[in-house]
Amino acid sequence: MSAAPGLERPQVVSHAQQALNYTVFDCKWVPRSARLLCLGSAARGTGLVQLYELRGARLELLREIEKPKPIKCGTFGATSLQQRYLATGDFDGNLNIWNLEAPEIPVYSVKGHKEIINSIDGVGGLGIGEGAPEIVTGSRDGTVKVWDPRQKDTPVANMEPVQGESKRDCWTVAFGNAYNQEERVVCAGYDNGDIKLFDLKTMSLRWETNIKNGVCSVEFDRKDINMNKLVATSLEGKFHVFDMRTQHPTKGFASVSEKAQKSTIWQVRHLPQNRDIFMTSGGSGSLHIWKYEYPAQRSKKDSEGAEMGVAGSVSLLQNVTLSTQPISSLDWSPDKKGLCVCGAFDQTVRVLIVTKLNKI
Amino acid sequence: MPLWLREHRWHQTPTAVFLSLPLRGARATPANIFCSERYLKVSIPPFLFEAILYAPIDDTNSTAKIGNGNIFFTLYKKEPAMWDSLTLENADKEKLQHLRENAVLKAQQKAKEEIEAKKATKEEHKKYALEATMKLEEAERKRIEDLKEKERQRVTEELELWKKQQKDADKYKSIQKEGELHQEIGQLKEKKSEKTTKTRIPNEGTSKTTPKPTKGCHGSCSIFSPNAKEEQLPAPRSVATIKINFTPRVFPTALRESRVAEEEEWLHKQAEARRTISADLSELEDLKEEEKNPDWLKDKGNKMFAMGNYLAAVNAYNLAVRLNNKLPLLYLNRAACHLKLRNLHKAIEDSSKALELLTPPVPDNEDARVKAYVRRGTAFCQLELYTEGLQDYEAALKIDPKNKNIEEDAEKIRHLIQGTMQSS
Repeated sequence: MSAAPGLERPQVVSHAQQALNYTVFDCKWVPRSARLLCLGSAARGTGLVQLYELRGARLELLREIEKPKPIKCGTFGATSLQQRYLATGDFDGNLNIWNLEAPEIPVYSVKGHKEIINSIDGVGGLGIGEGAPEIVTGSRDGTVKVWDPRQKDTPVANMEPVQGESKRDCWTVAFGNAYNQEERVVCAGYDNGDIKLFDLKTMSLRWETNIKNGVCSVEFDRKDINMNKLVATSLEGKFHVFDMRTQHPTKGFASVSEKAQKSTIWQVRHLPQNRDIFMTSGGSGSLHIWKYEYPAQRSKKDSEGAEMGVAGSVSLLQNVTLSTQPISSLDWSPDKKGLCVCGAFDQTVRVLIVTKLNKI
Repeated sequence: MPLWLREHRWHQTPTAVFLSLPLRGARATPANIFCSERYLKVSIPPFLFEAILYAPIDDTNSTAKIGNGNIFFTLYKKEPAMWDSLTLENADKEKLQHLRENAVLKAQQKAKEEIEAKKATKEEHKKYALEATMKLEEAERKRIEDLKEKERQRVTEELELWKKQQKDADKYKSIQKEGELHQEIGQLKEKKSEKTTKTRIPNEGTSKTTPKPTKGCHGSCSIFSPNAKEEQLPAPRSVATIKINFTPRVFPTALRESRVAEEEEWLHKQAEARRTISADLSELEDLKEEEKNPDWLKDKGNKMFAMGNYLAAVNAYNLAVRLNNKLPLLYLNRAACHLKLRNLHKAIEDSSKALELLTPPVPDNEDARVKAYVRRGTAFCQLELYTEGLQDYEAALKIDPKNKNIEEDAEKIRHLIQGTMQSS
């Protein structure tokens, strides 16, 4: 693990900061704008959505929307660029899609799960990729459900434990492999260390593994290409990078893992403009920026002649500690390279600029 | 007694005194020389030279050269004057002593002062060094801060620029859309006039396309564009379920590598605990069918008793009791074994238990009860608790008055009691 030399390294510059009076669980940039959303839970047990605009070195509150249940996660992934509807999952298991211009009544609402929706992801929107817009939610009740905003009340896919199996918390979900209208996969991470990859085209479990620590966050480097890399972060400060181009019949995907911090790695987010750079946020309030380097040969044949992937290596570009509390959410701006927002449990949301990413 | 060195030679100038002291083969080091303002001493055991000087000298600047079996002193006078002699003559002993002491004290003081001075300078140097490093670090920090600040400003500017671009782009787009919208309206009006039955173009479309401010454009735009797009989007997926299995985990908490060892240990302990409790049950698993039958075990016990193998009998009865602890006969028979084994307390216990279980007293269990009483009585007597024993025997007699043996035994006990009472 080598760090790039001295001042050529990307620097993380704190651009703006906003103290909040509620717990922020998720923060997202509004696509094609300098606005960002903070989703969370107010002290009185209601949900809050706040819309901020970045003006100079300050965040200005444009709008505040209060909802009856605390909101855990949100995504713009399945909405069109004109509509920019926000899909949220709340503590009660409700999936709602909101038009932020008229937020009183949701555009789509369903009580999707029996328990809190831990994680949500959307694909097919924002002019990225092809295929129907879909939203996937992962919940504490152990199920992962895929929703189509055009279909009310029932999910289009449901990944649930077999009858009689005791459920495990699903902590994170992510879409991937959506490079044409038919193909799509969903990756889900659970608290017992399981990572499962579901193929939505064949409606089957394509791969599963266990990384020995509860899985906090999974993300493909790009949702809309043939699946290339998957990063899974976990408790105990570890993360794994899987090379998803070659699947071996028994060994699955090749991976490389790093132990970065002593504490949980809460989130991983890939830079939208460069799929080999990603940032992880940790329970000690720190951010690490990593770069993945591909090996000379991405696949090789094993003793039986089956193709086997070869994992590359990960190097640390920069790390910075911003807070004493865990940084639970992270989002890169899809429009401005290096601009990112992070929300931490110290009730602060910070806008950061990562410089020199062009030189990597 | 030191050997005085007296063969010194000296000469002087107005400002200095030169003294030459031959050492008689002795080797001198600077440590042997002691000099103060008025006192000079050279002590090389066993040789000794001392001189109370005529006038004070500047001992810091004076020098002594050791070499060639000689010590050559160059003493600088404090006051330039010619001395009558090197040493003070006619100095009485007291004065000499006094002077000597003074000299020593002075020398010590001087040494102290020197040390202090040295320390002070050292401190100053340290301080200076520290301040210098601090300044350097400060400068470095500032430099980095400045760089960062510059970056920030640069980026902020870029950001503002980009934002402006966005706004302009949006405006441009909205103007464009309006243009398209007007085109659409034109087309619609044409189509309407054609009396089309197409429900594709919704009526809502027409109502909404009546002139509205640019804001409404966004709403109505979306009606058209998604319509067009929807044709390209695939239909919603057909509903399906995938059933999954989880890697088994006993604990409801999340899996952490560092805790795995502890968890394993706990599970192990639980398993152990469970194993000891069900040890009985597991042992019983090993027994054959018949061995699980308390009656069969009782018979076995009886046979053992008859053979005189009392321990084996007890074992058999124990196992039987474990299987079924409500059978009085088991306790009864075990009591008999204990009697034979002279486990008298156990015999009493078992008989008592048997009697408990033999309630209510019915003719059916007369025999058993008699036996129980008799056995308990015997046990008591053997423990020399004769009164208790008698009680039991009498109880037995009450049940079965016709039993001669019991009567006789009871008599015996009575006698014993009376006997002891008499003797005590």
